[in-house]
Amino acid sequence: MRAQFRSRIRLVLTFIVLAALLTLLRLYFIQIVHGAEYAQKADRQFASGGSGLFDRGSIYFTRKDGTLISAATLATGFLVAINPQTITDPAAAYSAISAVASSTLSRDAFLAAAAKKNLVYVEVAHHLSDADGQALAALGIPGVQVLRESWRYYPGGSLAAQSIGIVSYGSGDTLVGQTGLEATYDGVLSRSGDSLYKNFFAELFSNVGSLLVNAKDAHEGDVVTTIEPEVQTRLQDDIAKVNQRYSSDDSGGIIMDPATGAIIALTSYPTYDENNLQNVDPTLLGNPLVEHVHEFGSIMKPLTMTSALDAGVITPQTTYDDTGCITVNNAHICNWDSKARGVIPMEQIILQSLNVGASWVATQLGQDKFRAYFTELFGQKTGIDLPNEGHALLSNLSQPEQVDYDTASFGQGIAETPVQMIRALGAIANGGVMVQPHLASAVRLDSGITRTLDWSQTTRIFSATAAHETTQMMTDMVDTVLQGGRAIIPTMSVAAKTGTAQLTKPGGGYYTDRFFHSFVGFFPSYNPRFIILLYTDNPKHVEYASETLDSTFLDLVHFLIDYYQVPPDRGLPSTQTGAPASSG
Amino acid sequence: MHNLRLSFISLTSGAVGVLLVVYIGLIAVVMSYAALTVEFSQSVKNDEAAVAVLEAHYLASVASVTDTNYLAEGYAAPSAQLFVPARSVTALR
Repeated sequence: MRAQFRSRIRLVLTFIVLAALLTLLRLYFIQIVHGAEYAQKADRQFASGGSGLFDRGSIYFTRKDGTLISAATLATGFLVAINPQTITDPAAAYSAISAVASSTLSRDAFLAAAAKKNLVYVEVAHHLSDADGQALAALGIPGVQVLRESWRYYPGGSLAAQSIGIVSYGSGDTLVGQTGLEATYDGVLSRSGDSLYKNFFAELFSNVGSLLVNAKDAHEGDVVTTIEPEVQTRLQDDIAKVNQRYSSDDSGGIIMDPATGAIIALTSYPTYDENNLQNVDPTLLGNPLVEHVHEFGSIMKPLTMTSALDAGVITPQTTYDDTGCITVNNAHICNWDSKARGVIPMEQIILQSLNVGASWVATQLGQDKFRAYFTELFGQKTGIDLPNEGHALLSNLSQPEQVDYDTASFGQGIAETPVQMIRALGAIANGGVMVQPHLASAVRLDSGITRTLDWSQTTRIFSATAAHETTQMMTDMVDTVLQGGRAIIPTMSVAAKTGTAQLTKPGGGYYTDRFFHSFVGFFPSYNPRFIILLYTDNPKHVEYASETLDSTFLDLVHFLIDYYQVPPDRGLPSTQTGAPASSG
Repeated sequence: MHNLRLSFISLTSGAVGVLLVVYIGLIAVVMSYAALTVEFSQSVKNDEAAVAVLEAHYLASVASVTDTNYLAEGYAAPSAQLFVPARSVTALR
């Protein structure tokens, strides 16, 4: 019995030893016989040197139907590096590399690098496609390594470039977000480096705690924006055309949902291609819509009017005597045509864009109330999720001279960023409530959870009645004045206001022949889905914003009505339920 | 039962053999798992990059359509636009 048991034990041991030998044999073939092959394969998977396999979360546009389209993602391919110590024929190697790599070192630079025999690794070409990289690797050129790499890629190129932002090497040796959403949400988008190739068993043995409860999963993810790619494309195209047509210094535009603050499109011109930063002017990398302040001119008048209506110092029926020009603190303030209108109601101040009327309203409001309203509108940053937001320049409102309040009432002497401006004017569109403008709506965490960002903080500035009364005036402006009344859309109420401001001289004072044009509008007037702000800086050979921006504004309005199928809000017979109505 | 006594040497040899095989097997599994993880991760990244190329085509198409001047292409501007009123969202309205 004992002998039989021993023989069984020996049989088991023999089996175990054979299994061990087989495993060792397999390891021998893997590591010794095919070692070089596997090492090369590993090299392609793990880039060595400084480039590394860059990993980073994505940023998404959101189409109107909710589909996500990448605004910033990763591209994968190959880089080419040489080992000057082992390269045998640099000239032949250069010919082979330059045949597949669209951008590589010049021949002279390549040969100079290959001659540096004290080096073992020099990167000579990047961003090769999979096919090109594998074809080059198949050549087996001595001293040439083809290594896997990934890099930041922006499918839209210049689309919303200044909002999306860029990544680059900062003070350290890692790629970090430098501008735009890339910078604001860098903590969400950046990766610790081991997440992609995490080894479960290695983690199990070394750090079981982080495997079970990974803190990184709670904050690493992708950013979902409110930017609609087709609307963004349209706005960007329109703004570029305005800028080119009038040879402006720069132009910009924002389309926002006034009820939520969600920015649907935001652009400025000139801009840049995010995939090609080599020759980009560094001043373009910021976002002028949040960083630069301007004196916006008469689009400030609706805010002056709503403030006075809200304070109860005027009503829509209030009249004043418009003399065409007034003198305040020894300064002359005139209407755009210097003509007197006589005794007219408040609405005419908006319809005819009368500076004397806006000054009269500011005087009725009083300095303290005027300062209080405008400080509430512009005194704080908007909190938009873009870096380097600028402060409004409101120092004139701390002066005792009435002329500073009068000029501020029609948008001169105080300066704001375009984002601050659309936020403030959005309060009129949104029943007197100011919202938080924002570009990101949610963060999709790597854990699988989608965390909706909270932008619900609102501030009531005006009463709903005051906002409604000003909206009525702005709607009448579109229906009766804009393009001589031809801009009216019978089935859609649209509220708007133009603005033309004189540009400031560097040494003080204002140019008489250089202007800043602005345009704001929202629709449907009494339950708006969109508010649009446009501007163009120093357009040439044209004086008024009604000449430069009205057709662009109307083009955007018609585009948005069509694209979002915004239903008519007027001009339909009350009994009509399904028949179409005609619009010009 | 008394006949089933094993020598100390045999017992430890067996245990060492088992442990050796388990150890080598574990190394093999870990290496295989790591290789598969890398391969799958890279595969996912490659697919995402391929999707990004398609998205770039889509955005380029949108830009092309937006930039097209249809009047210059020979199309006539519409003489009128029709807007259809929104349907009631409730049956009672």
